[in-house]
Formats: sequence, structure tokens, C-alpha cells
Amino acid sequence: MTILETIHRLRETGVLGMNRRNAEYIMRSNSRAFFPLVDDKLKTKQLAEAHQIPTPPLYHVIEHHGDIPGFEKVLSGHQDFVIKPARGAGGSGIVLVKGHTAGGFIKQNGEIILMKDLTYHISDILSGIYSLEGLEDRAFIEGLVHPDTIFDAVTYCGVPDIRIIVYRGVPAMSMVRLPTQASDGKANLHRGAIGVGIDMAGGTTLAGVHRSGIVTHHPDTHKPVTGIQVPHWERMLVIAAKAVDMTGLNYLGVDLVIDQEQGPLLLEMNARPGLQIQIANQTGLLRRLDLIDKARPGVFATPETRVAWALETFSARTPV
Amino acid sequence: MHALELPSTQLSGGTLTMKRPALLLAVALLILSVALIGYRILWLKYPIFPAAPEKVWQLSMDAHVKGGEKETTVMIGLPSTQKGLLVVAEDIHSGTLNFNLLRDGPNQVGVWSGHIDPRGEVIRYSSSIQVKPERLLKIKPPKLGPYPSNVGEAEQKLARGLVEKWDSLPPADRVQHIAAALNGSWGTPVPDAQELQAWSAFQNKHGRVIASLVLLRAAGLVAQVAEGLPLAETVTNTTVTWIAVWTGQDWETLHPEKGEVYQKPVSLLPLTTGGYPAARVLHGELSQIRWTLSRQIINQWRMRFERIMRSDRWLDRWSLFRLPEEFQTTFRILMLVPIGALMISLLRNIVGFPTFGIFLPVLMALAFRNTGLAYGLGIFWGVVLIGYVVRRWIDRLRLLLVPRLSVILTFVIVCITIFALIGNKFDLRAFMAVGLLPFVILTMTIERFFVIVEESGVREALWMAAGSAGVAVVTYGILEIEPLQLTFFVYPELLLAVAAVQVLLGRYTGYRLLELFRFRRFGGA
Repeated sequence: MTILETIHRLRETGVLGMNRRNAEYIMRSNSRAFFPLVDDKLKTKQLAEAHQIPTPPLYHVIEHHGDIPGFEKVLSGHQDFVIKPARGAGGSGIVLVKGHTAGGFIKQNGEIILMKDLTYHISDILSGIYSLEGLEDRAFIEGLVHPDTIFDAVTYCGVPDIRIIVYRGVPAMSMVRLPTQASDGKANLHRGAIGVGIDMAGGTTLAGVHRSGIVTHHPDTHKPVTGIQVPHWERMLVIAAKAVDMTGLNYLGVDLVIDQEQGPLLLEMNARPGLQIQIANQTGLLRRLDLIDKARPGVFATPETRVAWALETFSARTPV
Repeated sequence: MHALELPSTQLSGGTLTMKRPALLLAVALLILSVALIGYRILWLKYPIFPAAPEKVWQLSMDAHVKGGEKETTVMIGLPSTQKGLLVVAEDIHSGTLNFNLLRDGPNQVGVWSGHIDPRGEVIRYSSSIQVKPERLLKIKPPKLGPYPSNVGEAEQKLARGLVEKWDSLPPADRVQHIAAALNGSWGTPVPDAQELQAWSAFQNKHGRVIASLVLLRAAGLVAQVAEGLPLAETVTNTTVTWIAVWTGQDWETLHPEKGEVYQKPVSLLPLTTGGYPAARVLHGELSQIRWTLSRQIINQWRMRFERIMRSDRWLDRWSLFRLPEEFQTTFRILMLVPIGALMISLLRNIVGFPTFGIFLPVLMALAFRNTGLAYGLGIFWGVVLIGYVVRRWIDRLRLLLVPRLSVILTFVIVCITIFALIGNKFDLRAFMAVGLLPFVILTMTIERFFVIVEESGVREALWMAAGSAGVAVVTYGILEIEPLQLTFFVYPELLLAVAAVQVLLGRYTGYRLLELFRFRRFGGA
């Protein structure tokens, strides 16, 4: 197959490329001034709270190296928790702790992390080793999400999350990201997690993408990833639609997790969401984005109208 | 905590991005660039391919001079820059003599003078001469001059009578007839025997050169005698004399000894014109004079430099060649850096190849210029490797980010120093030629490397390191192309064209090559 044929086929399918995403969607729709709102997870969290969007509970924020000693007391009050850098990129620097042990903690994957290792890790976060451009950073501790059991059978370990691409407030495409052994329990595709497309209309999973290839079964659990009904589907779409009102970014990747008790929680947002979601859905983004651009103005009135329109318009069973 | 401002959202009214302003800008830049280059080529007579090898002649003269009691003076006609001739890189050897360059009418005469010791003295001259074929210059022909000085009125009348019959012919034909007459064929009507006899006597007395000049003058033609060398690979001790005749449009060459006319004057290199002898000596003897002409390709930079320095045109006065020489070398490279940046745009946006940052590969390429390619790449990979090993080991020490990077940097410097000392022991100069700037640039990449290692893993980081090194090598290759350096130096406006391409590239929203691979499973393959 020649290059030209490939280009032609990708055009036909409406695959969005990196150059086009940057020039015509991110640069056009996303004002740089609003980027800090999504690049900094703490800011996102506060913004979400101001908009009554649920997020995992915030336990503690560490801003300076001098604050590190005090955080032990905070930890003793919580059975499990997550330590995150506020400006970490691609899931780096995140430590999931599921329990206490003598002189340390038990990580999600069963390893033991000593207290001094944890303080070292936090000082790394503050020095900015995980942050974009190596700027000084803040660390924060939030509640560990206990993911809904629906994905238990197919998840290796860690917390699966749901990525929804929202354009001009309308959910356009989504996938659930399942951690693998290779991704170390993290839900980032470039670390080896698999992305499974979701049918917009019904909220059931389609095929998955693992390192650019299509998969139907989880590489570790060997369970099928297709046909799973994602719970709270509409509610999650509404949260994602609201995220745009919240941030002023018109092309956005919204990451959510489903907690057993609290339901959907907003985890973080991404102003430059990846394009692999297209492989997971076997659908190009371009046509959906075009349809959103052509929608009549009434559609954009409220998050609910936008979601209703998306549910009606985008379905894996219809061509777009 | 920051106060959170709620940004206003604009959910409706997404307009299509205008591609036109970018396109217009690119076209405008391109036109400007082409116009400036066109102006230089058409009006300032710049070469279209400044780096194309140009054949020039290397002229050298060396002579042995013997002196007498009195001060000896040697005068040698030397070629000078004039229509169709560009003389550069003149070099004169005068031994113990004084040297002066005299301008005498159209002639440039080298004058060597002084007392010569009994063993004699050697004088030398050499220069590079570029002969431009375009001699179709619309110059006004010189006015018809007087007869040669030692020709009497009777002889003038005689000559006039002989050529009178050709007066109605065009100049070029008159020249042909006179050339034939020099060989004795006067055509019809045949002049009477008495006249011919008188003319033969005159020709024998004054020689064929003067005879030709007199006839040409009598026929109302402007003629100049010149002495010089035939333009051919040659070593000779004699010069040739010829007469250049203005035929109304062009100079033709009349060879008086052979009685032949040549239309192409380029095959001769004049040393003197107007009857001055090419070499003269006062109070001495010129023995073993030798002229050598050879073809060669001379230093292009020098050639352009000489040409532009002689020009008064506005653009030439603002040429990069007017910069002091020590800064020119910097600008030669600097002019090509945008091409390097263009390469990176190409690789990132068209191919989709990852690199460390945007300009780091360009800086690396500049560093390679100091260190050499092999050693530069060696340092780069060495730095990455040492940095990685030290990093793994130092992880246990629980150091903060910045001090940790400083420790790594110090270790890298220690390694490089040991390397240099080993190089010194084994006399390997390349091991020592690190240079501060290249080193700083290469160590900057370590920091980048580790940020990527932390953010995206070792695989990604190594892939990007390879990408950066690859781009740096390609960029280095481009920076080192000397014809390209020369072209951009002569035509700096090419940068506008480069910018135009960059602008167009900035509006490229098509797929990247690696994306074709990434999305290859799409659409049922």
C-alpha cells in the first residue's frame, strides 16, 4: 500500500492528525492563558469544587520542603491515599498507597515503601522533577479511589479511568483506559495501558488499543474488554461537558474515575489530549468535530442539551 | 492559593482558520527574495550559481635582471582589471628592488628599480585573472586618433590613396581588405606599381604593425595596438602583438604578422596597449623572462570578495563581504542555521520524528563543528551513558533535583578530563579538543534527557536522543556544505525564501509520516 493510499484512507475515515489537532483545534480553541488551570491538578480540583463537580477528597497539600515533616500526621489519619505532583505529566510521580505497615506503607502493587523513601519522593516532586519544564511544584495527597467493580475482571491492577474528548462543550469521543502490568498500574497509554473505545450512544465498550495495535482481550487478565456497560455513563458525559464551562478550553480531554461509593469523580484534564483514542474507537475524530461545528446554536445552550445531542448523534453503530 | 478566575467560555461561533494570511506572507517573502536575487543577477551581474567552479587563469612572470653601473629600471606591462577582465590576488616579488605600480593611460605598469648586484636579481609577479566572455559592451568607440607619430605626411597620403577605394564598404569588410593587403593582395583595381613599391619600402622600414595601423587610420578605422599573451596553457618568453579594431559593434583582432582577422578577442590577454612594449629595461638587461599561464579554480570566497569590494552599488556596499574577515566566518555558518531549523520543522511536523526541544539539535550541530562529527557524537552518547549510569547509582543518595544534576555534570566533566589526559598520553588530539561551548551544549542535553526519562521512560528518552543526534548530524552536514555557505553569503535574501518555506510548513495540517504508521490499522487494512 502506498503512502498516498494510506493518506487517502485516513482522510476518508476522518482521522485527526497531530498537526491538524495543534493548528486547528488546540491553537484555535484553547487560549494559552487557561492552560495552567488544567496543567495544575490542584487548580483543576479547586475549580471543580467551585462548580460542584465531585473529585477525590483532598487531604493535604505540601508546598515547601519545610512542610514535609508535618505530613506524617495527616497520613496516619487515612487508611489509603494517593500522592501526586500538581503539575506531573503523563501519570509520572504518582504513588498509590493502600495501607500502613511498620515504618512505611503498602503500595497498590503490594510493594512496601518506607517513610524515608516517601519523603524523598515528595522532595523530588517539590523540586519539580515530575513537572513540565522542571518548574518547582507542589505535592498533594488525596483519597484513593476505589474503582467500581465493573472493570475488576479485566483490570490488572490500579485504577481504570475514562477519557472523554470534549469539543466546544460537546462530548465527542471517549475511551476507558485499563492499566496493565507494563504500565505499572497507571492508566496512561504511552506507559502500556490499553485504551478501550466506548460507544457514545450506549456507553458500552468497543475494541481496545494497545501500543498502536488493536486488542479485544486484556494482555494480562486475558478477559475480553468489549461489551462492558460503563456505569453512570450520562452523568460522566455531563461532567465532561461542564468542564468546558469551567476552564474556557474548547478542546479538552477530561479524565474521570468511577468510585464505588461516590460515583464518577473528575480526576484531571488535558489541554492536549492524545489521538490514540481514535484507534480505540476505530473512528476518526474529524467528522465528529465537523458535525459539532455544524450543529445548530441551540445545541450549545446547557451541558445537558449538549450531551443529549451527542448521545443522539454519535454512535458506534452509525458511521460517524 | 491563587484566586480562581472563571474564564468566559465561547461555545459558539468557531470560525474556520484563515490559511490565506500565512500563504500571502509566504508568497510575499518569496517574491522579495526572488526580486533581490534577480536584481543582483541582472543588474549587478552576480553569478547565478556563485558556487559553480569558475575557471580562471593563473598568470605568472619571472625574469632575471642584470644591472649595470647605474640604477636599473625594469618596466613590465601587467594585466589590469578592465572590461572583461578581473585581476585578483596579485602577488609581487621584488627582491632588493623597489616596486611601484604605475598607471599610464590604459596600461598598468609594474616598475622595479634599484641597484642590482652583479649576480643579478629575480623579479616575479603572479595574479589570478578571470576572463568574462561577455564583451558585448555598449561602449562608445574611442575617437579616431592621429597617425602613429613617426609617420610623415607623404606616407599618410600614400596610405590614404591605397585604401580610398574601400571607403564605401562597412568597417568589418574594410578590415578584411586591409588584412589581405598586408599579405600583398590588394584586390581590384590593382594600385599602380610605383605606389606599391613605395608602400613596401615603408612596410619594411616601420614593420607590419605600424603599416597596419597606418592603413587602418587611413581607412578611418579606430585601432589599438596591444601586446600580450595568447590565453592558453603556456610557458613562453615572447609576447605577441595584435591590433584591436573597432568595427562599429565590436572589437576585432587583426594579427599583423599573419594578416588575419579574428572576431573573438577573448583568446588574448593584453598586457599593454597603445604600442607600449610589454617589457622594457633601462640600464640593465632582462634575461630569461618567462610568462606562465595556467588554468585553475581559485578560491571562490576570494573571487566574490574582490568583486564586491570593488563595487559601489548600494547592495554591494551592504554585502556581508564588507564585514571584517574575522566576523565573516561566523556569518557563513549563521546564514545556514535557519536551514537547520527548517530541517527540524520538517522532521517534527512532516515526518513526526521526536527531538529534544527545538533548537538543541541545531546547537548540537554547531558543537560538532568544533569537535568534529565522530568525537562530537562520541561525547554526546558518552554524556548520555555516563549520566545515566551515575544517575542510577546516585538515586540511593536521596539528593534534590538540582544538586543531583550538578553531581552528574561534575562526573561527566571528570570523565571527559580523564579522557583528555589519556588522549594526551597517546597523542590523540581529538580527545582534547572539547571546547567550552560544545561541552555546555552537549551537557544541556543530559538534563533534557533525564526529564524525558522521568516523564516518559528510558525507551522514549533514548528514541528522542537518537532523533536529536540524527537531526544534529544532518544539520551538521548541511552547515558544512561550502557551496551552500557561499550561496547564502552572496545572496543573504535566500533567508527570506527559507522563512517562506517555514511559514508554509507552519500551516501544514496534514498527517505526519509516522502517523500513517500509527493509524495504519484504520479503515480495514
